[in-house]
Amino acid sequence: MELVLIQVLNGLQYGLLIFLAASGLTLVFGILGIINLSHGSFYMLGAYLAVTLTSYLGDVFLALIVGIPIAFLFGAVIEWLFIRHLYDRDHLQQVLLTFGLILIFNELQRILWGTRPLGVATPSYLEGSIRLTEVLSYPVYRVAVAAICVLLAVAMMLVIQRTRIGQMIRAGESNREMVEVLGIDSRLLFRFVFAAGVALAAAAGIIAAPVETVYPGIGERVLIISFVVVVIGGIGSIKGAFIGALLIGLADAFGKVFLPQFASFAVYALMAATLILRPGGLFGRV
Amino acid sequence: MLKLPSRSVVILLAALCAAALIVPYVTGPYAIKFVTRIMVIAIFVISLDFLIGITGLVSFGHATFFGIGAYVLYFVSPEADAANALIAFPLAMIVAGLCACIIGAVSVLTRGFYFIMVTLAFGQMFYSLFHDTRFAGGSDGAYINVKPAVTLAGASLLDLGGRLTFYHVCLVLLVGCYLMFLALARCPLGRVLQGIRHNEQRVAALGYNAYVFKLVAFAIAGSIAGLAGVLYATIDGYVTPDLFGWRESGVAIMMVVLGGTGTLYGPVLGAILYALIEEVLKTSSLVGPLAEHWSLGLGLFLIAAVLSAPRGIAGLLERRAATAAKQSTTAVPPSIKRVAARGKELEVQDLRKSFGGLVAVDNVTLRLAPNQVHGIIGPNGAGKTTFINLLSGALRPTAGQVRLDGEEIAGSPPHAIARRGLGRSYQRTNIFLPFTVRENCLLAAQARRPSPFRLTAGKHWAENNADIAYALAATGLSARAEDRAAHLSHGEQRQLEIAMLLASGARLLLLDEPLGGMGPEETARVTALLRELAADHTVVLIEHDMDAIFATSDTLTVLVGGRVLAQGTPDQIRRDAAVRQAYLGRFADQEPI
Repeated sequence: MELVLIQVLNGLQYGLLIFLAASGLTLVFGILGIINLSHGSFYMLGAYLAVTLTSYLGDVFLALIVGIPIAFLFGAVIEWLFIRHLYDRDHLQQVLLTFGLILIFNELQRILWGTRPLGVATPSYLEGSIRLTEVLSYPVYRVAVAAICVLLAVAMMLVIQRTRIGQMIRAGESNREMVEVLGIDSRLLFRFVFAAGVALAAAAGIIAAPVETVYPGIGERVLIISFVVVVIGGIGSIKGAFIGALLIGLADAFGKVFLPQFASFAVYALMAATLILRPGGLFGRV
Repeated sequence: MLKLPSRSVVILLAALCAAALIVPYVTGPYAIKFVTRIMVIAIFVISLDFLIGITGLVSFGHATFFGIGAYVLYFVSPEADAANALIAFPLAMIVAGLCACIIGAVSVLTRGFYFIMVTLAFGQMFYSLFHDTRFAGGSDGAYINVKPAVTLAGASLLDLGGRLTFYHVCLVLLVGCYLMFLALARCPLGRVLQGIRHNEQRVAALGYNAYVFKLVAFAIAGSIAGLAGVLYATIDGYVTPDLFGWRESGVAIMMVVLGGTGTLYGPVLGAILYALIEEVLKTSSLVGPLAEHWSLGLGLFLIAAVLSAPRGIAGLLERRAATAAKQSTTAVPPSIKRVAARGKELEVQDLRKSFGGLVAVDNVTLRLAPNQVHGIIGPNGAGKTTFINLLSGALRPTAGQVRLDGEEIAGSPPHAIARRGLGRSYQRTNIFLPFTVRENCLLAAQARRPSPFRLTAGKHWAENNADIAYALAATGLSARAEDRAAHLSHGEQRQLEIAMLLASGARLLLLDEPLGGMGPEETARVTALLRELAADHTVVLIEHDMDAIFATSDTLTVLVGGRVLAQGTPDQIRRDAAVRQAYLGRFADQEPI
């Protein structure tokens, strides 16, 4: 029973984390129409920013506050340099170009930070554990991670529901062509959405850094799992990405305990099963 | 349609073959192995191009079958003896092909981005199965101790462990695979696959089961990927779960795009270029200390390639050879004798379609007699196109029956209905733009031959040609047979829609605004043609050109708000007060239409 409870908590926390990464991916696909293979690299960027910024600032939360604007700017520059050339190209060319970006980002990571696995310290005031039952306790920092993810998710929902730019995003979500017809400057909207997606992925990477090792291949794992989440939820659907992320988080957490050798298999099988039953994902438009 | 490669490309490919034959004599073992690897990867990427560039299925999991082929060799290799290549290689193809059938049966249900992701998921499943368990060496991979040999009746004919022997085997297989895929792409089967790539809905409406065709393409490509995999495992004598991984699939896509999709030879060039660039960037004597950061250079190269040459190397080679409009050699006089035949009779009973709360077609009951022209008119939003979509199977009715010559067809898929002799045209021009006019018609004509899976046109060749010649002559397109459909005027494209229906041999024609966008002369010709067609077809016509539809039709049905408001001869309809009220609204008391 305790084991189940712990895994539910772990699954939810992991799910919330990948929701941050996947929501950026689904927005970029839904609104810009871009398949971005390099999305995982931005999670990696966040993780390594956490390493460097924490070493200067002393606290991973300060690193988060400084890191998000850095990542946002980085995303805007990448959009301006590369992504904007892809809007009227077919998916294959998008795959090719963003794959090239992965190679470049991975190499830059090696040059700047090396290949040694690195760690980020948990802030001292969050080091303890919360006692849940007689024998069971749960690390405070993981609770904080979940809380921050929820906070960022709520902030994102508010931006999308309440602001003018959010209105454009919703318009773009339901009908990409309409945005241009309505006379919205799609170049700025696209740049903002892409940069916001990068910032979300990096934020996930930063706050996750203290609970996992920071190593070179970290982005690719997140990339694949984010794609799985986006597809399960239905491309372009934030709600779908949220539910998909929690499902995948739980499947992964329980898989790791009960069938450790088949945990990743279970995740992909879940995605394939979803698509067989609903070829457009849970909340997707077919 | 895929053309045979131009002369300059053939020369280039022949030169590459010649170079491959010379390489072993002028270089050392390292180069031989390097080229062997390129040739094996080339086989792999040609099979991927058959999926991506010919059939339009962008698979991000093609390495699944590559890995399966490799692991088959591991499983059949005895501990300290050579596996027989005559068993191992075909077995790898069969196992990979069967797996492709199973995975494809699920995957081709999805489309576009979802297809990309579901194929990726299957690749990752295999990867994690082999990577996370101790099965077959687990994440460390496993060695194949003795390389396979070709053994027949106990005698070893070829030892594939021999570097040179294996090199030449790979070269022969590469050339063979290229020629096989080229032939496949140009045979009737390949024509359907390319049709699917450009316009799947239209292919289905012509009577092809697109699902089955896509599955066949997926299985063929998978089995050749399996062959490439077993060859790859032979090079190093080593298998690893990475062979299944998304990077392997991804790099293969890179090579295809780099070389030029849909050309079959392009990906081979892509594979060579990719391998050469990688090799150069890794060689420190050429690039100095940068060799350590070779993937930086490779990444920049890929980005530069996408931005500067979107159609790949093949796109640079094939400077749009403007296809000179050759005069059709088969200009057959228009008056071809057609075997007089009976059109199909259509009975519709209580047909209903609702979208949520909106009822688009509301309990329509009609009987359309054979060998007549039946017009359907009604204001915009009356449900005319929905009605046609229900008849052709593009939409499933909510309730009701549709009988074609007494056979129930309501709810059948479009291709099944088309094969029973019901053909349709579309309100918006819906043809295969990259195909020539003749190829468009050929795709339609071959749809009704007994088995559309044939590799050669065979005995139907003459029949197909006669059908096409008739269809083109009847629609006045004979002179444009060899032009690409994309180059036709709008009116000619509308005519081509009709020509395709004629070539398909359908006996009941559903025409959705065939006159839209036609000039007066074309309108006159098409309306005359429709009258002629009634001799051996049943024609159902939706049209906004009132003069034309009243002049052409034997009966008219008026749809308003999804219901049949009136039915009768054009004269009866012209005088019907309810029709004038509904149709013309406030103009009802003015002149009759």
